[in-house]
Parts: sequence; structure tokens; C-alpha cells
Amino acid sequence: MDDTNLLRNLGAVGAPADFEGRVMTALARRKAAAAADRRTRTLRYSLAGAAAALFAGFLTFNVVLPGREDSSSSGASALAELRDSLPITETMSYRNEVRNSSLEPRTVYILEQVSDASYKHIKY
Amino acid sequence: MNMDEQKLVSLIQAGDESAFAEIVRIYKDRIVNYLFQLTGDYQKAVDLSQETFLRVFFKADKYKPIAPFSSWIYAIASNLAKTDLKKRRRIALVPLDDVQYGLEVSTPSGDSRDSGLAGNLRQALDGLSPRYRVPVILKDVEGYSQEEIAVIIKRPIGTVKARISRGRAMLRKSLEKASHENPAFQPKEIYDGRY
Repeated sequence: MDDTNLLRNLGAVGAPADFEGRVMTALARRKAAAAADRRTRTLRYSLAGAAAALFAGFLTFNVVLPGREDSSSSGASALAELRDSLPITETMSYRNEVRNSSLEPRTVYILEQVSDASYKHIKY
Repeated sequence: MNMDEQKLVSLIQAGDESAFAEIVRIYKDRIVNYLFQLTGDYQKAVDLSQETFLRVFFKADKYKPIAPFSSWIYAIASNLAKTDLKKRRRIALVPLDDVQYGLEVSTPSGDSRDSGLAGNLRQALDGLSPRYRVPVILKDVEGYSQEEIAVIIKRPIGTVKARISRGRAMLRKSLEKASHENPAFQPKEIYDGRY
């Protein structure tokens, strides 16, 4: 006998008659599943992105900028104070309050006694 | 590589289903037979063949024409079969010696198509580790050269030669053990491992 044909002739089989049709059906099914999987994956990534953005916003406004909460609370108290009182603001000119005496004319003060009390010298 | 096949693969890479159907038509019998020889289960072979072709379609963009297309499709089939065999081995781990002693002895008709001998060979192959079974079947059933087998199983050619030699020796030993139970059966005359 021919040794080389021993394994080669070992119960050789072929594909079933409807094999091609089965493969093409499976291909169509797998393609549909892949498309659905792609859509699901896209949706999942979108939701994850949106959740991440929300979380990042939360962190930004509550952790990264911690002074914001304090300033807003102090602002609220200031507003409350404003509601209780009427603020009046006056402008003030300091032009006539501070003067250089050397630039002004010398002033002579004449003092005389106007009371009936006993005379006394006024010493300067 | 066959120019027609190269063109077909290019079309498959572009998503052409008719080109894919043509590849299925060309390779279906070879792949089913190869997987049947590897697994020993026809229905499993058909299922794995179907999965092999689906992977060809969906992974076509990964194919690079540095090796023949047939090597690539056989590599996919081999990997699927090995994974399946490993799964089955995890389920029922049977030592090779136990399988060898359990061989049914056939009548020595001297005809390789003899169902008893085929059954013995089948059992001996089933008892062979996938690491030896794949190169032996690629060489002795599919008729690939050692260089082509090295490309398919992605191992050095020296490793391929060693595995083929060792696998054949293990098969011969299995058949000899079967013959001891029935001295009239002389598998060495039928299969001496030398091709």
C-alpha cells in the first residue's frame, strides 16, 4: 500500500451542501450585530462623555474655585445689610480743608475786653 | 499568491460580499476537511469553518500579501481549532496513554480506507496534542511544505520539523500499541512515519 496516502485518505470530508448559504446568512447576521454593537458603543461613549463633562463642571465650580462659595456668601450678607439701611454717599472736597498758611495774608487779631469783670492783662 | 485570490481579497477588504462568497466556494471543502481532521467532529468542523470564513471577512484588512492567502486562512482555522481543543481538554483531560490503550483494533485489511484502521488513526490523532497534530495534518493530509507550515503556525522551521517527526512517532507508537492487543494487526507496515 502507499504509505503517503494513509493520513491523506483518512475519512476526507467536504462541506455540507448549504454551507455557503449558512456562511452568508451568518455574515449578514454578524454584520447587523456589529452595526448594533457600534451604535451601542457610540451611545455608551457619548453618555460617558456627557457624564464626564458634568463631573468636570461640578469639580470646576465646587473644588477648583473654592473661594467662590465664600465670596458669594459674604456678598449675600452685604446685600442683606443694604436691604436694612439706606446708604447715603456724600462727596467731599478737601480743597478748602487743607491750606498753606504762608500763602494767605497775615491776620491781625485785636482783642479787647468786653466783660465787666475786673481788668486783667491778656498775655499772649 | 494566486492573482485571482489576491484580487478577491482586495475586494473583500473593500467589503465585497460576492468576492467573499467566491473565497468560501474555493476553500470550503479544504477548510472543513482540515478542521475535521483536527477535531474529529464533523459538526464542530463545520461550525469552526463558518467562523473561519467570517473572520476572513471581518479581519481581511489585517491580511498582508507577504504570505499566500491559503496560509493565512489555514492559520485562522488552526488557531480556532487549537482554542477549541484546549477548551475541550479543560473539560475532560485524558492522558495520552489512556487513549492509546483504549484503541479499538481493526482488521488488517491493508487498505487505508478501511473503517477500522481509520478509526484507529482517528483515535490516535485525537490523543495527539494539538501542538503535534496541527503540523502533522498540515503536512500529511493537506500536503503543505515545512516552510509553509512554519508560516501558518508561526514557528521556526526547525520546530516544525521536530514537531512533525515527534508527532508521527507518537502516532506510530499509538498504532503499535493497538497492534499488540491484536497481533494480526501490523500498523508499522501501514504507517511507519516516513514519507
